[in-house]
Amino acid sequence: MIAHSIFFYTFSLIAIFSAIMVIASKNTVHSVFFLILDFISISCLFIMIGAEFLGMIMLIVYVGAVAVLFLFVVMMLNVAQQKNQWFESTSDNTHIPIGLLISVVIFFELLIVVGGWKYKPNLLSSVSVGINQNITNTHSIGNILYTDYIHLFQLSGMILLVAMIGAIVLTYRKRSGIKRQSYLSQISREKSDGVSLVDVKSNQGVKINE
Amino acid sequence: MENINFILPEIFISLGIMFLLMLGVFKKNGSGIVYILSIVTLLITLGLIINFPSGQEVYLFNNSYKIDQLSTFMKIITIISGIFVLFSSYKYTKLEKIFTIEYSILILSSILGMMVMISAYDLIVFYIGLELQSLSLYVLAAFNKDKTKSSEAGIKYFVLSALSSGLLLYGCSLIYGFSGSTNFYLISENIHSSEYGNIFGIVFILVGLAFKISAVPFHMWAPDVYEGSPTSVTLFFAVVPKVAALTVFIRFLYVPFVDLIDQWQMIIIFLSLASMIFGAVSAIGQKNLKRLIAYSSIGHMGYALAGLAVGTNSGIQSSIIYICIYLIMNLGFFCCLFMMKRKDEFFDNLEDLSGLSKNHPIISLSMLILLFSLAGIPPMAGFFAKFYIFMSVIEESMYFLAIVGLVTTVVSAFYYLKIIKIIYFDTPKEKYDQDHHFGLKISLTVSTLLILLYFIYPSGLINFVSKINII
Repeated sequence: MIAHSIFFYTFSLIAIFSAIMVIASKNTVHSVFFLILDFISISCLFIMIGAEFLGMIMLIVYVGAVAVLFLFVVMMLNVAQQKNQWFESTSDNTHIPIGLLISVVIFFELLIVVGGWKYKPNLLSSVSVGINQNITNTHSIGNILYTDYIHLFQLSGMILLVAMIGAIVLTYRKRSGIKRQSYLSQISREKSDGVSLVDVKSNQGVKINE
Repeated sequence: MENINFILPEIFISLGIMFLLMLGVFKKNGSGIVYILSIVTLLITLGLIINFPSGQEVYLFNNSYKIDQLSTFMKIITIISGIFVLFSSYKYTKLEKIFTIEYSILILSSILGMMVMISAYDLIVFYIGLELQSLSLYVLAAFNKDKTKSSEAGIKYFVLSALSSGLLLYGCSLIYGFSGSTNFYLISENIHSSEYGNIFGIVFILVGLAFKISAVPFHMWAPDVYEGSPTSVTLFFAVVPKVAALTVFIRFLYVPFVDLIDQWQMIIIFLSLASMIFGAVSAIGQKNLKRLIAYSSIGHMGYALAGLAVGTNSGIQSSIIYICIYLIMNLGFFCCLFMMKRKDEFFDNLEDLSGLSKNHPIISLSMLILLFSLAGIPPMAGFFAKFYIFMSVIEESMYFLAIVGLVTTVVSAFYYLKIIKIIYFDTPKEKYDQDHHFGLKISLTVSTLLILLYFIYPSGLINFVSKINII
């Protein structure tokens, strides 16, 4: 139990610390790195409460795809050089009140949720679904996904295919005037294709590249 | 395992999409063969659907997918119109330089989405089908990326449609929360009008669906998207998704929400009245034929909704007949649009039609027939379509709806007849090209003849539709 608490507090502290650092760090690239650290610690917390599927999905989707995408965007847009102006600017800080307002609202929402759950447990009735403790989350999700919802699973695949086709159709442009190297045509070139013997008459010259 | 036979059409069309995609990737200049093979795929799918033993009701996948008379009939209509769209716009897509492999594949995948929507008997299945359909339509609307208007149409349709999907999902989540199930039948068992959450959910779902069939007041996207998209895509937009959306309307209203008819009837009546009035009035000032068709389709959707608002079997059947005839009329009208080209350039303004009858008597004649039918003048099919609707509306003594419908028919006849006046009595312009693709000629002939000769044997369609009993 003590080991469990140690792990829990370690991950929680790292998660909170990195969440703060995401908004506090002056370099945007560092912010994205802290975001990744945050995701990883949260996924560790998920795994600790027994939701290993959610944790792994979080790792794959958020760290593997979303955060990397953020990183690319940040690097491409070249905003890394722009200093984070939260603590430096004195004139243009109109966004701070709105940010504070939203944070206060979120804080009170959390307070209400946690308070209700703590002091009146039957206030938010949780759904009573029979959970089979003997099989893993992944197993039980698979049991449902590949039996009752197999057609939806397949159709979602079709949707992704259409999305892929659509993205390619709308962004692909054939550029003209690009010279591409083709090994096959280079190797299969014959002497007769490139070299020709011309009888040059005096004072007349030859035309090339006809 | 024998249940797999019932979704064979869907499986076949998905395999067809993947095969054609691979073929298009690995075969150089394969757009032509992919285009033709996608028509073949649709034909085989049609055969597989017709092959389904009629009169049976089958529930698949944990009761989330239903195959019955309604779904079979609507799927047949969807696929036939899909075939016609591909068939008639072959040359147009070539000349507009949108003739790529993805074009026909996207049309196929949106038809797959519509088939799923039509058969859906569960909120999740319905939503997945809807997304598959609309995702393909977003791309199709923006397909001609060299033209700003096409990109504009794509963006507009994407943003507004995503918004409406959001509303729809919110409605679905409310319904799920208050009834405890996503299955249509279980919802109908557990839904009560005493809980306001249910009514909120119904309203949100109806708003989302009304957006998809562009009923007033959720029609804002239609004129711009119809005008901006390539004409072949506009044709697709104008006919095919409406069939699927109308089926979903029927399913939602008459399966899960059937006990709450008092709650939704007023909404449908309002949508219907507003669409009829707005479609008739605002089409008058239009200069562009595609915009005009957009407004006229808004009006026609109003009539189709009037049949649904009645709440009887005959009302539903009259709506289904209406949508069939509407679809044929629009197919024919767009075939005429495809024929208005001069030196590989297409024209879609009202003034380009002026004096068409002098140079092209046959096109003008078929346009005359189609426009008379759109206006609802006997003995064209359009008259019968409206006639059935008004019959079922009056049977339930909803006289106000019938009167407004008749008045708006007269108003809309004005702008249809104005087009005929421009074709027959204005000064002629330069001749249009005559070298039409045979598919286009066949489509125009077939649709015009169907509209013209419907009155000889109307019981063919009626007998078929009268087997569809929802209530």
